[in-house]
Amino acid sequence: MVSLLGSAWAGEPTDQVKETTDKILAIVTDPALKVPEKAGERQRLIRQAVDERFDWEEMSRRTLARYWAERTEAEKKAFIDVFGQLLERTYMDKVEGYSGEKVLYVGERVEGEYGAVAVKIVTQQTREISVIYRMKKKGGSWYVYDISIEGVSLINNYRTQFNSILSRSSFESLMERLREKVKQG
Amino acid sequence: MAKIVTIVSILIFLGWMHLPQKIHAGGMEQIASAESIYGWEQTESHQIPWTQSVQMAEATQEPRLTLEGQDAGPAVEPIPDPLEPVNRIFFSFNDKLYFWVLKPVSTVYSKAVPENLRVSIGGFFDNLETPVRFVNCLLQGKFKGAGYEVFRFLVNSTAGFFGACDVASIKLGINPYREDMGQTLGTYGFYPGIYLCWPVFGPSSIRDTVGMGGDMFLDPLSFIYLPGNEWAAVRGWEFVNGSSLVLGEYEDLKEAALDPYVAVKDAYHQNRESRIRK
Repeated sequence: MVSLLGSAWAGEPTDQVKETTDKILAIVTDPALKVPEKAGERQRLIRQAVDERFDWEEMSRRTLARYWAERTEAEKKAFIDVFGQLLERTYMDKVEGYSGEKVLYVGERVEGEYGAVAVKIVTQQTREISVIYRMKKKGGSWYVYDISIEGVSLINNYRTQFNSILSRSSFESLMERLREKVKQG
Repeated sequence: MAKIVTIVSILIFLGWMHLPQKIHAGGMEQIASAESIYGWEQTESHQIPWTQSVQMAEATQEPRLTLEGQDAGPAVEPIPDPLEPVNRIFFSFNDKLYFWVLKPVSTVYSKAVPENLRVSIGGFFDNLETPVRFVNCLLQGKFKGAGYEVFRFLVNSTAGFFGACDVASIKLGINPYREDMGQTLGTYGFYPGIYLCWPVFGPSSIRDTVGMGGDMFLDPLSFIYLPGNEWAAVRGWEFVNGSSLVLGEYEDLKEAALDPYVAVKDAYHQNRESRIRK
């Protein structure tokens, strides 16, 4: 038994999640970027910070699961692109709604190239939301491949949706729905 | 009465029917196949076994993990949904109910009543419902949780003005143990059975519906004598007050989903299973 969780020790994955979170919070709370004419700039900066930490390819592989292997390279690429955009937008919407919540780093687990960072978000109404970032090490850095909020894994949630769609219709129609969804936002 | 008992036993029986499936899901085959990342991907819709333990560990502060990233925790099987066509009808009914009734009402209400007061009102109802959490903690053998619930009730009912201020949590860091009968049944080994989307009440399962019925007997609000209309008004107030604090969350989920019905079903199921593991 290895006991890392709940200790004050924080390792690389936590440091890197914290670095990205702090960077994003700094952008979101920067008064100079809050003016309407800077909205584009602000979005670009957040997107950049998110892109640095999230592994869209790993997320895509895990959500398509067994359907991933059946895809051609071009299809994979197109999927990563559009699904990445959807995730990015979902995440950005959450971040944009930031209103002074506290972020506490409550635990970490590392096993080889896999890691998990447990975070508690405390809202102004003292509601606690538990979030877990699942990460994979590539090169020298850790990249997020899943986020669980209150026990609900984002990747599992999309996988269930994609499975349900793919079991009734084609990959092409899934792509079509994804593109439509991204366009809407 | 006899009819209700029969229905409940049928439902419980249905819940049991799926039990072997659950054991199988957490069985060794699953774990053996998780040796490589490719193996994990191919075990379609099964969560990576060891990641489960992070959630569990987070709750208990006791990581139960073995080396090599493997853990004997159960994987989350998708919830069976043989009633999908009916559930979808009720889902879109609830969707309309939300956008046409609940949201406009809650929005007006949230403009009339300041947020602090709404949080306090929520705290008052929450405090009244202590028996639900207390008994379910006991039924699950969570004696620390049961003790905390009694302590919270005593502190919050007095120093916290009948629950309006959650002193126990804010000042003493003692948070509620949100246990209910559905979770209790889950810890006893009942599988959710099938997914149910009730009109008005929303996502549930056979197990959690039975649990909700049980919890009603533990909720003091069910026993307060009020004429029908006033009773409904109190319940309605609790409901609107609660929704006014989470306005926008359903929209966010819908916005991010490709199939909102499936997204809600899966999120409900994953959340319930993770709470049962805690």
